[in-house]
Amino acid sequence: MNQDEKLNIIKDILLTDEREFVSSIEKKIKILEKTVNEKGNLSIKVDPIIDIKLKEFVKEIPNNLGPTITEALKKEIADSQDAVVEALFPILGKMIKRYVQHEMKLLSEKINTQVNNTFSFNRFFRKAKSKASGVNESDLIIQEQSNTKIEQVIIIEKGSGLVLAKFSKNKMADEDMVAGMLTAIKSFVEDAFTKESQNLQYIEYDLYHIHLQNFSSFYIAVVVSGAYNIIFKDKLEDRILEFTDKQKITKTLKNKTSLTKKLEEFFKNDSI
Amino acid sequence: MIVSKKIVLIGHFGVGKTSLIRRFVEDTFSEGYKVTIGVHISKKTVIISEDQLISLIIWDLEGQDDIKKTRPTYLLGTNAFIYAFDLSRPVTFENLKSEIHFLKKNYPNTPLKVVGNKMDLVNKEYLKQYNSIFNCLVDYFVSAKTGSRVESLFYKLAIELI
Repeated sequence: MNQDEKLNIIKDILLTDEREFVSSIEKKIKILEKTVNEKGNLSIKVDPIIDIKLKEFVKEIPNNLGPTITEALKKEIADSQDAVVEALFPILGKMIKRYVQHEMKLLSEKINTQVNNTFSFNRFFRKAKSKASGVNESDLIIQEQSNTKIEQVIIIEKGSGLVLAKFSKNKMADEDMVAGMLTAIKSFVEDAFTKESQNLQYIEYDLYHIHLQNFSSFYIAVVVSGAYNIIFKDKLEDRILEFTDKQKITKTLKNKTSLTKKLEEFFKNDSI
Repeated sequence: MIVSKKIVLIGHFGVGKTSLIRRFVEDTFSEGYKVTIGVHISKKTVIISEDQLISLIIWDLEGQDDIKKTRPTYLLGTNAFIYAFDLSRPVTFENLKSEIHFLKKNYPNTPLKVVGNKMDLVNKEYLKQYNSIFNCLVDYFVSAKTGSRVESLFYKLAIELI
C-alpha cells in the first residue's frame, strides 16, 4: 500500500458524513428547483396564499381605497359639473316633466269633480232635476260631462296620407286636405324626433282637438270638440281599439265604401 | 266612387311649383313670390268621364336644390311625381339627368313627368341651345303664367293613374 492509497482510505473514513450531507442537500435543491420552475407545482403552493391575501385586500378596499375613490369622484364631478348636468338634464327633465304633467292633469280633474260635487249649486239643481225627472243623478252627471263631441273621424293611410274612410257629423274641413296636412305634420314631427321612436298624439286647434291613433299601415284622426281630457282620451283610445278589433278593419281597408259604412255606424253616437 | 291619388311636385326653389298648382286648382296666377315652407296640400277633382272621377291630392313640397335633401317621408305612397324646373334658369336643370335618375331608381313604379315651366320667358333659339337636355328628358313645356298646357299636364297624368 503506497502513500496515496493510504491517504484515500483516511479521506474516505473522515469525509463519509460530509458526503452524505452534501448528497441530501443536492436532492433538496433539485426538488426546490422543480417546484419553482414548473408552474403547476408552484401554483399548488402559492395559490392558497394569494387567495387569502386577495380576499383580505378586497375586504379592505372600502377602508383603504374608499375615501380616495370618493374624493376623486367628487373632484371629477366638481370639475366637470356642466358636463354631468348636460348629460343628466334631458333624461331627468323629461321624466319629471311627464310625471308632473300627468299628475297635474289627474289632480285638476279630481279637483274639478270635487268642486262640482261639493260646492257647486249645480249639485242642488241636479238633485232637484233628478227627483223631478226620475233620472238617476249619476246619469245626469254623465250627461253634463258629455259636452265632448266627436265631430269627424278619418281613417288615413300612413305615408301617402290618402283617406281610406271618413265620417263627419258636421262638415268641418275637407277630409282629403286635412288627411294630407296631418300626414305631412306627422311625418315632419316624427322625423325630427326620430331617435325617440314616438308618434304625434294630438293636435290642438282653437276649440278642437285632433286625436291621432296609430296602427301599422294606417292611423285614425278624430276631431273632437269640447273638453278633451285624459279620461276622455283613454275612453276614446279604447273605443277606437274596439272599432278596429271588432270590425276587423285591416281586412276591409281597400274597400272604401264598406269601411266608411262601418265607421259611420260605430261613431254616429256621441257617447263613447 | 271617387278615386284619390297623391301627386308630389318637386324641384328647385322658385321654379313655379306652387304657381303651377294654383293655375291648375284655382286658375289664378300671381307675380309675387312666396316661398313654400314644408309642404302645402291642394286638391282638385278631375272628371275623366261621366262615371269616372279622380281626386288629385297634390303635395307641393318646398324647393330643394338637391333632390336627395327632400324629406323621404313626404314621398311615401306617392302615385305620381311632377319634377318641375325653370326653363329660364339653367341652374335649375343642369343636374336634371341625375335628379331624374334618382327618382326613377328609388321609385321605379311611380309615374314621373318632367316639366319645364316659364315657357313664356324663353324663345325657340334659347330652347335650341339646350336641345340635348330638353329633347330626351322633358315631357312638358308649360307656363303657369299663361296657363299653357298646365291643364293638359294634370289631366293626362290623371288618366294615366286610373
